[in-house]
Amino acid sequence: MVSVINTVDTSHEDMIHDAQMDYYGTRLATCSSDRSVKIFDVRNGGQILIADLRGHEGPVWQVAWAHPMYGNILASCSYDRKVIIWKEENGTWEKTHEHTGHDSSVNSVCWAPHDYGLILACGSSDGAISLLTYTGEGQWDVKKINNAHTIGCNAVSWAPAVVPGSLIDQPSGQKPNYIKKFASGGCDNLIKLWKEEEDGQWKEEQKLEAHSDWVRDVAWAPSIGLPTSTIASCSQDGRVFVWTCDDASSNTWSPKLLHKFNDVVWHVSWSITANILAVSESQQNEQ
Amino acid sequence: MKLKEVDRTAMQAWSPAQNHPIYLATGTSAQQLDATFSTNASLEIFELDLSDPSLDMKSCATFSSSHRYHKLIWGPHKMDSKGNISGVLIAGGENGNIILYDPSKIIAGDKEVVIAQNDKHTGPVRALDVNIFQTNLVASGANESEIYIWDLNNFATPMTPGAKTQPLEDISCIAWNRQVQHILASASPSGRATVWDLRKNEPIIKVSDHNNRMHCSGLAWHPEVATQMVLASEDDRLPVVQVWDLRFASTPLRVLENHARGILAIAWSMADPELLLSCGKDAKILCSNPNTGEVLYELPTNTQWCFDIQWCPRNPAVLSAASFDGRISVYSIMGGSTDGLRQKQADKLSSSFGNLDPFGTGQPLPPLQIPQQAAQHSIVLPLKKPPKWIRRPIGASFSFGGKLVTFENVKVQSQQGAELQQHVFISQVVTEKEFLSRSDQLQQVVQSQGFVNYCQKKIDASQSDFEKNVWSFLKVNFEDDSRGKYLQLLGYSKEDLGKKIALALNKVDGPNVHIKEEKQESEFLPSAGGPFNISISGDIDGLITQALLTGNFESAVDLCLHDNRMADAIILAIAGGQELLARTQKKYFAKSQSKITRLITAVVMKNWKEIVESCDLKNWREALAAVLTYAKPDEFSALCDLLGTRLESEGDSLLQTQACLCYICAGNVEKLVACWTKAQDGNNPLSLQDLIEKVVILRKAVQLTQAMDTNTVGVLLAEKMSQYANLLAAQGSIAAALAFLPESTNQPNIVQLRDRLRRAQGEPVPGQESPQVPYERQQLPKGRPGPIADHTQIPRVPTQQYYPHGENPPPPGFLMHGNVNPNVAAAQLSTSPGHMHTQVPPYPQPQPYQPVQQYSFGTGGSATYRPQQPAAPSASNAYPNTPYIPSAPSYSGQSQLYAAQHQVSPPTSSPTASLPPLPSSGASFQHGGPGAPPSSAYALPPGTTGTLPAASELPASQRTENQSVQDQANMLEGPQNGWNDPPALNRVPKKKKMPENFMPPVPITSPIMNPMGDPQSQMLQQPSAPGPLSNQASFPQPHLSGGQPSFHGLQQPLGQPGMPPSFSKPNIEGAPGGPIGNTIQHVQALPAEKITKKPIPDDANKRLEFLYDKLREQTLSPTIINGLHNIARSIETRNYSEGLTIHTHIVSTSNFSETSAFMPVLKVVLTQANKLGV
Repeated sequence: MVSVINTVDTSHEDMIHDAQMDYYGTRLATCSSDRSVKIFDVRNGGQILIADLRGHEGPVWQVAWAHPMYGNILASCSYDRKVIIWKEENGTWEKTHEHTGHDSSVNSVCWAPHDYGLILACGSSDGAISLLTYTGEGQWDVKKINNAHTIGCNAVSWAPAVVPGSLIDQPSGQKPNYIKKFASGGCDNLIKLWKEEEDGQWKEEQKLEAHSDWVRDVAWAPSIGLPTSTIASCSQDGRVFVWTCDDASSNTWSPKLLHKFNDVVWHVSWSITANILAVSESQQNEQ
Repeated sequence: MKLKEVDRTAMQAWSPAQNHPIYLATGTSAQQLDATFSTNASLEIFELDLSDPSLDMKSCATFSSSHRYHKLIWGPHKMDSKGNISGVLIAGGENGNIILYDPSKIIAGDKEVVIAQNDKHTGPVRALDVNIFQTNLVASGANESEIYIWDLNNFATPMTPGAKTQPLEDISCIAWNRQVQHILASASPSGRATVWDLRKNEPIIKVSDHNNRMHCSGLAWHPEVATQMVLASEDDRLPVVQVWDLRFASTPLRVLENHARGILAIAWSMADPELLLSCGKDAKILCSNPNTGEVLYELPTNTQWCFDIQWCPRNPAVLSAASFDGRISVYSIMGGSTDGLRQKQADKLSSSFGNLDPFGTGQPLPPLQIPQQAAQHSIVLPLKKPPKWIRRPIGASFSFGGKLVTFENVKVQSQQGAELQQHVFISQVVTEKEFLSRSDQLQQVVQSQGFVNYCQKKIDASQSDFEKNVWSFLKVNFEDDSRGKYLQLLGYSKEDLGKKIALALNKVDGPNVHIKEEKQESEFLPSAGGPFNISISGDIDGLITQALLTGNFESAVDLCLHDNRMADAIILAIAGGQELLARTQKKYFAKSQSKITRLITAVVMKNWKEIVESCDLKNWREALAAVLTYAKPDEFSALCDLLGTRLESEGDSLLQTQACLCYICAGNVEKLVACWTKAQDGNNPLSLQDLIEKVVILRKAVQLTQAMDTNTVGVLLAEKMSQYANLLAAQGSIAAALAFLPESTNQPNIVQLRDRLRRAQGEPVPGQESPQVPYERQQLPKGRPGPIADHTQIPRVPTQQYYPHGENPPPPGFLMHGNVNPNVAAAQLSTSPGHMHTQVPPYPQPQPYQPVQQYSFGTGGSATYRPQQPAAPSASNAYPNTPYIPSAPSYSGQSQLYAAQHQVSPPTSSPTASLPPLPSSGASFQHGGPGAPPSSAYALPPGTTGTLPAASELPASQRTENQSVQDQANMLEGPQNGWNDPPALNRVPKKKKMPENFMPPVPITSPIMNPMGDPQSQMLQQPSAPGPLSNQASFPQPHLSGGQPSFHGLQQPLGQPGMPPSFSKPNIEGAPGGPIGNTIQHVQALPAEKITKKPIPDDANKRLEFLYDKLREQTLSPTIINGLHNIARSIETRNYSEGLTIHTHIVSTSNFSETSAFMPVLKVVLTQANKLGV
């Protein structure tokens, strides 16, 4: 069922912390404790190093590709409290923006659905979540949610750009009125759902409590046109929950324990069709 | 960053790691008094609630104790993994007593919270530790070298680890080994530490510093290395932490001298062995790495000493420190901003005055500002080094195409020792095997056109009648006499009916009656010969007669009708002409009430709509049969549709499904989809597959039978198809997904998906892309230094070949159009990377030659290409080769291919066959060779493209063939393209390709043309153009003609307005190829040996210029340089064949990206030189 088709030797000099493919699945970005971010062309089973990006002064935790309609853009976040946005111009990758608004390790970055524009959510160990919005001309607008998660936010994940249920009977041609939402998980063992108010401020909409230890990762499932919203979360406590909300108006979420592992579960990732969940646990089990 | 604080002068103990929520127990500290001199003691439990942002800790329980404590620990004894039982609190008291408390009872508010108590010790019990392997074992230390091991299950009688150490002294610390369960260490203020082995019941080693100034205040074992421990000294003269390794216990391994005054407590993080906390009389709390001595963090504290410090076992970033100013503070070592908290503090302070308006001024006081704190740096930095627990060691993420990217940081033992393997794995995840295999089948069927068999198979495999029906209906589409077969399927076989009628006639006398009538008629007629009486009486007969006599048929008919003489009326009406007949029929039908009248009405009046619209839906079968029998082709579909719509709108789900059959008859794919979707769960892959199978087959059928333009795709179908394509892609079948994706739609999501699929397929995406702005292209060519510098730094093999052409990467117009050049490049790249090297020789040619090939086959080639591209279903059979046939040939094949060119090219254009072998065509073929698709494209006579492609493509391809010639002239102007892909794409690719197309011929042909200077060949070519002016004929020309001179000749016959003879130059410069183009003068100025050898035209020089650049920049690898020298040498000796051999060697052994830009030209030059014997 799962067969390795390509093995990429990244030549990082220290632990790898994240590896993400771009929108097309042709390029691989990796980041490591060796403070570098690398980009590989992995088409046809090959591996060609395209860029070795240096700029972080600490381990780099996560990388995230922006939607290609904005160009080739990669965001990385690091223990050095910085978020760097890299961009490919004329075949060369360069730093295009550096966000230094956090007071502690930035643990997670996630681009909003492209329909909203170029927006990046960053979760940090300082407990805050910041939202960077590209306003053109190389300018980024920053909004910050302080104290989102006491002693640290570990993960952020955007809701798909579909108001639940809207795909079914959405008047075509009319620009849909998106409600921007994302989920975050943190060291307060909570998952929080955030929603942008009409005045552009972000407000905590929901608190999901089930984990008994740090929430290591949250992943909002891609929309497949059904009215149900789904979020997966995993935790230090070894448990993986799948949360579902069938009715957007009542906004009630019910957790279902997917599995209890014996060790930390670090990462959850949905497949594009939202029917498979990859779970990364310390004992190296995936399902 | 400070998280919480409690105002207590107390010892502290965190709840064990298993416990959730996290509690902190505090027990009033012995030997310390606060300003009230109160000797009351209490045991309290607080909850650490981090979701509450305030600094307060929630107190859960307070128990007034009669004891004050020297030491407090919380052991997990009897706790289960769920933490239902909260373990046991163990306290060391002042008078040699050890008390066990039940924390759950304390929390519950019970009075009886003491589990057990024992005062066997002498003096205060300052040291306590729980064995982490056997949590029922607790070690304690007190005065006079007393060490006891307590079994919590049998608390009455403690054990000793061995004989007391001499001289007798206080035991200040005690600690169980973290790796070996029977090892215990104790230390005393004298500075001596003793390690006990409980199995031997004796001390096994004594550790002490020779200067005797150590005053042990802390002792901790390494969390992971069994033989290491640290000792902390309280002595101000030696404020150090010593790291000891028992394998070498004569001197400390390392001494950490980070404190200025004596150290009061240490704590080693269990979560990260590189974090050791220490607090001292210098009022500092430091976190250092005991393995290096580096201070990683200094907690921002006030100026008070801390006497106790503890890591929170459950939350590794949290620690607590108890200070002499009567406060326990909880900190996070992850840094962060304290602004929020500070403001709360200020609020609290100001509100604590109670009265907001103490001075009665009528104005509330502003919140109290705390200037000194505000002035402080409010940002607390985190640890210098990231703690282990936030370093994610493993991950798996899905990406497009059902790929899963995974990594884990595995230590591999190698000869050099343990090494981290930094590998990332990309895996294909397939979950829907049946779905995939069915999809495969479907694709095969579409390619092989074996629809009937397929349908039959489906019929056989059908599990429901309905399914069977649907497939039967679909199958009929591919058979002769489809309407008849439909009727059969509906249960109306003509033969059967004939039999039935015959039967009926025999039984009943029906027909006989009819015959009788005829007989009567015939009987009557003969009598007409005789005389008969014309009555003109006043009765009806008479009136009729009169009317007839006056020729007034109308009145006669009316009279007959009135008299209910229907037959007479009709017969008269026939005589009275069409109009009258029609009216009479109507009247008849109006009068007649028989059951089948309406049917007869419809049949006679040809009013099928009536039937379809008004029949009882239970009779849909009959209605459909009638339509099948009678309806004219042009209204047939509409009628079936109508019936389907009625069925569909009926609430009955059974009828709804039947509507599908009607739609199949109608060939209305869109409605079939709509109807099907209503009935089925579209999200199940297999049910989607069910639908798509039918749709695809129906579309094929419609294409065959109705010659409709099937490329138009309705919204719903498009959505389903793209959903299907998405599913296929998610299972890794990207090629299949592309094949099924509808082509001629510009719904943004489909266009996007197609673009995504193409790229995912590994089609080359030029290094940079600026998808939104197609216009950026204009600016890019300037970037000469950019790209070139670039690819010296970075081996960008696939993309690099595009740079020389200046890639305006077809700014792939993300929103509007897919990237077109994929077609070409995909073919190249589809060859496995392993072939890279062997392909190198042919590969370099893509720049100069590939375009030729592209161009010359432009349309033909593209048409043949289509099959692999989304067009597959329609045109597939025209082109059996799949694009992925690994390119045949290695380098060695090249010469053969080259030779083969002679054989192959003639058929493509007979006029040229007589020409001396035209290297240009050879070259293009050569290039085509390595990649299977090009060569096959070549092999396919252009004529075939005209015959087989889907109808819709044909015009386009014709157009382009002609236009491609024009375009060559117009260069960037012709927007038309028909490169095969969706219309929207055309513009961009065209522009992009033109330069490529254009440039190549020149370097190839020029060397021939010029040296040969053969006007004849040019003459020969010219006529060839107008001669076979058909598409195919015109197409070879561009590539054969190549050279400028003949090129002009070509244009005119084709009726092009004369173009500036110099057009090629500006074009090249203006084209993306600019970077190379604009250095002509440079080249000419260069005294390069190779170039001086022969007269070589500018265009070749441009290629060589690239080489010179490289040489100047010295960016070529030594092997290549050596090889070039060798080639130069062989040129000097005119040994060209040797030069060619060396060339081959270089190309096959070197990096493609390094050589691709110039090696092909060298080869051409050498080949020509060899041939011409210059």
